[in-house]
Amino acid sequence: MNKPKIVCFSCKFSWGYLADESKLAAEISNWIPIICAGKIDAEYLVDAFLHGADGVLILGCPEGDCHYQDGTIETKKRLALLRQALAVYNIEPERIRLVLARDPEGKDIPGHIEEMAKAIGRLGKIKTAKA
Amino acid sequence: MTGKPKVAICWLGGCGGCDEAVVDLNEVLLTVADAVDIVLWPIALDFKYDHVKAMADGEITLSIINGNVRNSEQEEVAKLLRKKSQIVLAFGACACFGGTPGMANFRSKEDIFNWVYKDAPTVNNPNGVFPQPVSNVDKKELTLPAFHESVKSLNQVIDVDYYLPGCPPPTDLIAHAVTATLENKLPMKGSSLAPHKALCDSCPRNSTKPQKIKLTEIKRIHEIEAKPDICFLAQGVLCMGIATRDGCGHNCIDINLPCRGCFGPVEGVRDAGIKMISTLAAIIDAETDKDIEKITEQIIDMAGYNFRFSLPSSMFGSLKNPE
Repeated sequence: MNKPKIVCFSCKFSWGYLADESKLAAEISNWIPIICAGKIDAEYLVDAFLHGADGVLILGCPEGDCHYQDGTIETKKRLALLRQALAVYNIEPERIRLVLARDPEGKDIPGHIEEMAKAIGRLGKIKTAKA
Repeated sequence: MTGKPKVAICWLGGCGGCDEAVVDLNEVLLTVADAVDIVLWPIALDFKYDHVKAMADGEITLSIINGNVRNSEQEEVAKLLRKKSQIVLAFGACACFGGTPGMANFRSKEDIFNWVYKDAPTVNNPNGVFPQPVSNVDKKELTLPAFHESVKSLNQVIDVDYYLPGCPPPTDLIAHAVTATLENKLPMKGSSLAPHKALCDSCPRNSTKPQKIKLTEIKRIHEIEAKPDICFLAQGVLCMGIATRDGCGHNCIDINLPCRGCFGPVEGVRDAGIKMISTLAAIIDAETDKDIEKITEQIIDMAGYNFRFSLPSSMFGSLKNPE
C-alpha cells in the first residue's frame, strides 16, 4: 500500500504548546491540535476514517496529569467503546492509538506519526467487508 | 376527477407496521379519506403502479413512503413516486434511516444469500435451486427484482422532502403531518416532523435520573427485574433515549423496555449511534484501564445495539462502502 494516512489529534496542554503552531502544522499533514484529548468525540474518529485515514493517533497528557482532571480517562472509555463497535467491520483496534506523554516543543509528533504509519502499513488498507 | 389533493401511500422494504399505523388513525383516517383522493395504497386498495405511471408528473400532492430500498423493484417504485409527487414523506424508521433490516449491512450480499439458500441449518435445498433475476419457463421470460448490494434509506435513492421517524410513527404525529401538508403549513424542506429534543426530555422516568449517572455494571433488560418507574440507565440498562429524538410517546418505556432508538438522531446530530458511544463513555464509572475493560466487555454487540435502526444512513454505516 502507499504510505498510510494518519490523522493526528494532540492536546495543546502537553503537545507543541511552546512551538510555532503554524510552522509545525506546515510540517505535519493531518495534524489537529485540540484542547484536551477528552474533547475528541467518537464522531471525529469515524469521520477521519470516512475521509480516508488509515489510522488515527491521539496524543494526550501523561496519565493523571490532565488539565481538566479526567480528560484522559474519558478518552480511554470512548476509545474502548468505539473499538468494540468498529470490530464489526473488522477495523483493527490498532488503527486508533493513544499516546500519553508531554512534548512542549512538539518535536516528537512526526516520530509518533511515522511509527504508527509503519505499524498500520503492516495491517494494510481497511478491509470493511465482514468475512 | 374530484379536484381533491391526491395522496399515495406505499411500502418498499418494510414490514407493514407503518401501513398499520396509518390504519390506526381510526376515525381521523375517515376525515383524511374525505379530504383527499388516495391514488395508491398497495396494502389496502387495489390501485396498480400503471395507474400512477399514467399520471402527470407532480400530480400527486403527497407520497407517504415507508420501508427501505434493497431491491430493484423498490428502487423503481420510489423513483416513480418521486417523479409523480410534489411532496415525498419518508415515513417510519426504515424509510428515514434504513431501519432494523438495515442491520443486514453488517454482512455482505453474498453472506446473506448463502445463509438463506445454502448454509442455514433449516435449509433443505439438495438440488441447489437458487432464485435468478431472469429465468425462462415455457418460452416465457420471468423476472425477479434484483437484490442490491446493501440496504438504503429512502433519501439515498430519491430526494426526500420530509421525514417522520418511528417504528412505526405514532398516530398523533401522522395526523399532524397529513394535516400540515393539506393546510400547507409544513416547515422547511428536509425537516423531521417530530420534536427536536431527546427522548429523555419527556421521559416519565426523567425525574428519577440521578444528577450524574454512574454505570459500574451494564445489564441487558432480560437479566434484571427492571423497576417500572426508575430511569433505565440508573438501573444499568442501556437506553438509547439519551441520544434519540423525542416524539414516540414512550411506547417502549411504558411497557418497561428501554428505548432502542427508532426515532433516530436528535436535531442537528449526524449519527445517533456514534453519539451514543460518546455519551455512554461519559457515564461509565471507571478510573482504571481494568475497570474500563470490565464494564465495556459487558456490552454484547455494541454496533448492533447502537445502530439497530440507523445503520444505512449513519456515518458508521458508511465505513462499509460496498458500491
